[in-house]
Amino acid sequence: MGTTSNVSSWKALLLKHETLLFIIVVLEWFFFAAIGRRFGTLENSYDILRHSTEIGLLALALTPIILTGGIDLSVGSLLGLCAILFGKLWRDAHFPIWWAAIVTLAIGAVAGGMNAWFISRVRLPPLIVTLGTFSLFRGLAEAITHGVDTFTDFPGSFLRLGQGQWLGLPAQAPAFLLVAAAIWVMVHFTVLGRSWRAIGFAPEGARYAGIPVERRIASVYVIAGIIAGLAAVLYTARLGQAKADAGTGYELFAITAVVLGGTSIFGGVGSVPGTLLGVAAIAVLSNGLVHARQPREVAGMLTGQLLLVSLAASVLAKRIALHYKSRNANQPDSFS
Amino acid sequence: MRTVRREYSVCIALSLILFALAIFAPSFYQPTPFLSFLARQAPALIVTCGAALIIIARQIDISVGSQLAVCSVCAGLLSTANWPAGLVLLAAIALGATLGSINGFFVAGLRLPSIVVTLATMVTWREALRWKRQGAFVNLPQGAQWFGLSQTQGQLTIIVVALAVLAGLALLTRHLAAGRFIYATGSDVEAARLAGIRPQLVTFSLFVVMGALSGLAAVLNNAQSPQVDPKAGTGLELKAIAAVVVGGVAISGGRGHLWGVFVGFLLMACVSPALVYLHIEAYWERAIAGAIILLAVLGDGLGSVQKTTTSGSLASGETVTSR
Amino acid sequence: MNHSGRSAPLLRLEEVSKSFGVVHALSGVTFELLPAEVHALVGENGAGKSTLVKLVTGALQADSGSIEILNRRVAHLNPGRSHKLGVACIYQQPALFPDLSVAENLRLRLSPSAPFRRVDWAESRAQAAELLELIGARISPESEVRQLSMPEQQLVEIACAVGSGARIIIMDEPTASLTQKEQHLLFGVVKRLRQNGAGVVYISHRLEEVFALADRVTVLRDGHSVGTNPIGELSEAALIREMVGRDVSETVASSQSRAGEIVLSLQNVGCAASGIHAINLDVRAGEIVALAGLVGAGRTELARVLFGITPADTGEIRLNGQTVSIGSPRQAITHGIAYLPEDRRRHGVILEMSIAQNITLSIQDRLFPGGWLRPNAERNTATDYMRALEVKAECPEREAGTLSGGNQQKVALARWLATQPRLLILDEPTQGIDVGTKNQLHRMIRELATKGVAIVTISSDLPEVLALADRIGVMRNGTLVAILPRASDADQVMGLAFGQEAGAP
Repeated sequence: MGTTSNVSSWKALLLKHETLLFIIVVLEWFFFAAIGRRFGTLENSYDILRHSTEIGLLALALTPIILTGGIDLSVGSLLGLCAILFGKLWRDAHFPIWWAAIVTLAIGAVAGGMNAWFISRVRLPPLIVTLGTFSLFRGLAEAITHGVDTFTDFPGSFLRLGQGQWLGLPAQAPAFLLVAAAIWVMVHFTVLGRSWRAIGFAPEGARYAGIPVERRIASVYVIAGIIAGLAAVLYTARLGQAKADAGTGYELFAITAVVLGGTSIFGGVGSVPGTLLGVAAIAVLSNGLVHARQPREVAGMLTGQLLLVSLAASVLAKRIALHYKSRNANQPDSFS
Repeated sequence: MRTVRREYSVCIALSLILFALAIFAPSFYQPTPFLSFLARQAPALIVTCGAALIIIARQIDISVGSQLAVCSVCAGLLSTANWPAGLVLLAAIALGATLGSINGFFVAGLRLPSIVVTLATMVTWREALRWKRQGAFVNLPQGAQWFGLSQTQGQLTIIVVALAVLAGLALLTRHLAAGRFIYATGSDVEAARLAGIRPQLVTFSLFVVMGALSGLAAVLNNAQSPQVDPKAGTGLELKAIAAVVVGGVAISGGRGHLWGVFVGFLLMACVSPALVYLHIEAYWERAIAGAIILLAVLGDGLGSVQKTTTSGSLASGETVTSR
Repeated sequence: MNHSGRSAPLLRLEEVSKSFGVVHALSGVTFELLPAEVHALVGENGAGKSTLVKLVTGALQADSGSIEILNRRVAHLNPGRSHKLGVACIYQQPALFPDLSVAENLRLRLSPSAPFRRVDWAESRAQAAELLELIGARISPESEVRQLSMPEQQLVEIACAVGSGARIIIMDEPTASLTQKEQHLLFGVVKRLRQNGAGVVYISHRLEEVFALADRVTVLRDGHSVGTNPIGELSEAALIREMVGRDVSETVASSQSRAGEIVLSLQNVGCAASGIHAINLDVRAGEIVALAGLVGAGRTELARVLFGITPADTGEIRLNGQTVSIGSPRQAITHGIAYLPEDRRRHGVILEMSIAQNITLSIQDRLFPGGWLRPNAERNTATDYMRALEVKAECPEREAGTLSGGNQQKVALARWLATQPRLLILDEPTQGIDVGTKNQLHRMIRELATKGVAIVTISSDLPEVLALADRIGVMRNGTLVAILPRASDADQVMGLAFGQEAGAP
């Protein structure tokens, strides 16, 4: 092949993708700073970070899932369910607040495990399973709260987690950075991440290489569940209240961030820095639009269109790459 | 065969529920509320038929609720601008078809996974609507409700239209060659292509039809109240998919009958009143819908042979373009 | 049984050649099919039969030579055109709609796809019934294709071919999975097709069928046409010799096999789902056992049992004396078993990943303790193996998909060698590989044996089998029919594979 670069061609493409995305985020930033008055301030930047924590966490949770070629539509609903269960544990079951938080993470794990069981053990398509749990989790949240119950009056020490500061940064930052670092490491530096990619590229090939495919697939959904639980806790801390509609619509933003960041919807290719940049792109867009005094809804609309455009672009890029590959390869499938 | 067994068990389940309702809540069957109930369900039935076709073709469309909302509001606005009812109907259908064609372009033309495409369009339409209307209702003109007929006549008309759509689609998918292309495309895209059927064209057309049906349902929905609620259609896609899956249509495509879907739809529709009469809060409805989807698919998964999926597990929700 | 006098051929290939890179699939082959004729095409795996078929159906274009269909020269043939010209091919994998009925499948395939026509179910049922009746298949037109067995699906394909009025019908191993009764059915169909003036190209390994059905037989060997003879002029033995006949004494650098202790011991091993049964085999360290046999004999199925893809349900497997149960590939690898699969595209090297990633994919637990990837260790391991196996690539970070087929196979082999197996199972390791790499791989396999690895190699390449093997196991119909010593006669091996020996089931 022509190139003399030391890096495999898919990696090269991704690198380019992330650089491009980074440039886009920077351009966005300057654009909105020029338009909106209060946009470019440090305080606003912290606001952006604060408001994008939950979606950022969900996007991080989705990255390994999409890497394996699956999908999880239930993460937003799970956030809602975990939020109200968290509230219930604290208010009605009188758990100490931090214990309630830990148990909430465990609930997230169990719910993720439910997805995992349907998908990896029974071998059902992730699409329909998570569509079902999307409805089930949200429905349970609504049912438990009778649609109206809201949990408030959380202790100040807890609310500081969502509204306060830590070394000058928003208090969510450490938790978010910790999760981001953990997922980053898992995807890019561990055997686990390598297996996820292999499964995304070739599920049967991975099996024949000795990778325990079912276990690895199950792991991504359980991890997503735990992260959704964490996101629920942070959401509650930020808003000071937990309602059944928490996290509604978050899955679109999360999926868009992941696809924008260069992770292929078909699996195998993906990067966590890309996802983070994707979250940044969407967060800056949302926030910038508010400062440009555009209505909230525009952000949602643009995100939807952004998803379509980035998907189309990535599929076209893949087709072009395949076209070149088939022109260079001269191998018959079989001949006798 | 699995499908037949499923359709029988759904029929039995439905009969049990109807029977239970007759015994424990006979007021359900009183003519006036019963007719209202059926009329209220009619638009959802129309949308469910479209959803069934799309799933049979091995795709999915979760933007139907938003499509319905947009078409409802636009139809309402046209009514207040004193457009004649017939034109309003045509306009709504045309608008729905246009929305559907956008889905079709991305799914069939660009070969993108339908779950993600319709997720994007769902949010786009919904947010655009919220932006323009800010949640405001549309007050329909005086004579518009029930198409200017009496309430009973109006309700009957609506029910008949919905049943006509159901019957029409059931017949078309059984007796029209193009209808069978839907099954062929969903069963095996490659074999369809080799047989000279154009699967991408079939897929595109289905999304357009789905949109048109949403437009029709929107008009029927509007006729039932003096106002148009911009939040109409929320959660419709899930109810439709649940009904379709329960009704025996396989998520992997290629199999299922609209009559089975009808029974599944009735079953799902009865969940709500059953909850009411059992004094269970309506808030359980969404959870139950989700549980039903999971149980239905679980039954499929544990029972019959899975169609082999290729790369990634999204394959059951997208056209398999490469093998 | 006698074909008509010299009428114009339905199909004629003249001096046709086709190569894939350095591999010559067909060289200057001439082949002709007359009307009302059953013309058998025989040859070992790899002789060029599939390529010839693909040229006729238009799936491939010839590099040189001419193809004439119905007396007209066809230049750029594609599947659509060839179908219109009356060519139909019955593959082993039918292209049917699994969820639809037989009648509907036939209707969709045979009727023009005008979308707004009314479907006449009665007519389509009747037409299907008629076609099925014509070929004598006892299949109800209403049955769902998914419920049909593979042979029944093949019969539907044949009905489709008959229905489309094809005059050139190619049958590729049609009886491979048919029972006796179904075979008779098929013979009847073939005879009826011939009576109606169609020409049938009949590809089969079952020589008794060839002798029962065919009017003429053409033998392909290594891409060349060895000869075309009327069936009456050949004996079965002569036919086999034509198929196989080559100088067997070439290449062998006869390595003294220092066979050590028994590594693998199979006693009455079977797997019902895979169709294999009563396998008794011992393989020693340093020994190369080749499994010969025809396609469908069960060799790959046995490999998959040993590797844990489809675990055994009867019998006992012992490794180095200890009874083991192998429930998954991961378990197999832990026991020291490695498997180089036959289906390279789906089960072999992952093309989108780098060479280094592929090589280390099965040893991750050992190479990366604690789960942390170590790029240095990975690169070093990869370069070591790339050097040892002479993989031609610039660096280990290159994507595996950019390599040639031979080099990809070496990478796959490297992956398995890295697991340091006690037992290495190679499934068609050199199929489709250029001669140079093939010889390299043979050398490496022999070296491995001298290092004490027990090797089972599945191969349809007879000279390869004879050159490499210390012992040759011949499989047929899911079981081992014989184990022959190394200096065996090629004819004997093939004869057993075809089921000639008296004791064969």
